[in-house]
Amino acid sequence: MISKKVVLIGKYGVGKTSLIQQFVHQRFSEKYLTTIGVKIDKKTVNIDGTELNMLIWDIAGESTNTKIPKSYHLGAHGAIYVFDLTRPSTYENIVSELNNLKKLISNVPIQLVGNKSDLLDEKNIHQIINSLPLEISFLTSAKTGKNVESMFSALGKALLK
Amino acid sequence: MRESDTFKKLTQLILEEEREAREKLENRVEVIDQNLNEREKLEPRIAPILSDQVVYLQKKFPELFGPAITASIKNQIKDSKDEVVEALYPIMGKMVKKYILKEIELLSERIDQKIEEAFSWDNWVNFVKAKVFGIKQGDMILKDAMEPVIQEVFIIEQHSGMLIGSYSRVTSVDQDMVAGMLTAIKSFAKDTFSIEDQELETIEYENYKIVIKNFPRFYIAVVISGIVSKVFLNRLDDLILDFVDKVINQRSPKAEADFIEEEFSENLNDYFIKLNQYDK
Repeated sequence: MISKKVVLIGKYGVGKTSLIQQFVHQRFSEKYLTTIGVKIDKKTVNIDGTELNMLIWDIAGESTNTKIPKSYHLGAHGAIYVFDLTRPSTYENIVSELNNLKKLISNVPIQLVGNKSDLLDEKNIHQIINSLPLEISFLTSAKTGKNVESMFSALGKALLK
Repeated sequence: MRESDTFKKLTQLILEEEREAREKLENRVEVIDQNLNEREKLEPRIAPILSDQVVYLQKKFPELFGPAITASIKNQIKDSKDEVVEALYPIMGKMVKKYILKEIELLSERIDQKIEEAFSWDNWVNFVKAKVFGIKQGDMILKDAMEPVIQEVFIIEQHSGMLIGSYSRVTSVDQDMVAGMLTAIKSFAKDTFSIEDQELETIEYENYKIVIKNFPRFYIAVVISGIVSKVFLNRLDDLILDFVDKVINQRSPKAEADFIEEEFSENLNDYFIKLNQYDK
């Protein structure tokens, strides 16, 4: 079976852990528990007949006074950068954040994901999308499960290319 | 005689010598041409020169080509540093270990000597047992006190934490996740304490010890239960170095770029079951 390492990155509280919980265990909790360091989950998916073992590294979000070890990112085959659609501070430096990420893991597929889409209406979401300098890969909701599966599947396909 | 005949005769006389010279020259050219184009004729003439050149090159080889070869090897090593270290590591390790092992043997002898000098009842019993069974008394005391057993072995890719191979007596937890978490712990220690050139080598619990042996592109983590003695660790070290040298470094060129999990797992079973059986 093919195994690939995927890292989830983004500021604290954007819903990285919740996205993984929804994808791996199909559950969501309103309770917020900050991730300390890193948490690793695994899910085997079938991509067009090929079994893919996804080792998902849920890396704790960086806040102003905590720095995350950069070596957690090393050797990743793919990445998901998550931001919170309701908190501009989580996406206002998105270009430089992604450039920094690309320095650590070059030439790997990266999905740019706007999470918590259930908290905003269509109009607000469109405004945010238009204001961003980069194209968003997926708008997700870890709470309702919207686009979570398809976002991971799309990354899985890119990993197998 | 007419004038034209006289001229003809004169021409013949003058050119006769030249014609002969030309014929000689033609013959000579033909011989040279044969000498050059027919191998069997050329060989005896050139062979001595070539042989002189070979001797000259042999003598002057280091002087003529040394710098270029050294530069090329230097570049090769520089470009494939990891591969070179990986290939040399087990050999160097074995050499160093042989020396250390000798020192340990000496130490063991000294310990035996000390034990022999002790007068406790237990020591006397052990002494008698040791004599009866023909085992060193020191070894017997150590063996009584512990029973180290290899529970699990993981070969894990550095940085990414991907599992390359594993051996397990009991399959309890997800081995992919264990490999990932061990790598995360290693990364955490390295980044947090800024220990760039050093690596985490052991993690200890009460009855368990995780021994980590680092190589440039991967590391091997061995989970051992029981009390782990230096002698056992030494034997384990030998086994790991041997495994890396004979199994991992000997893999096919096809598998060179990517590690194939199944390939190593099977070999790990053979190697580490052996060590467990040896110790029982």
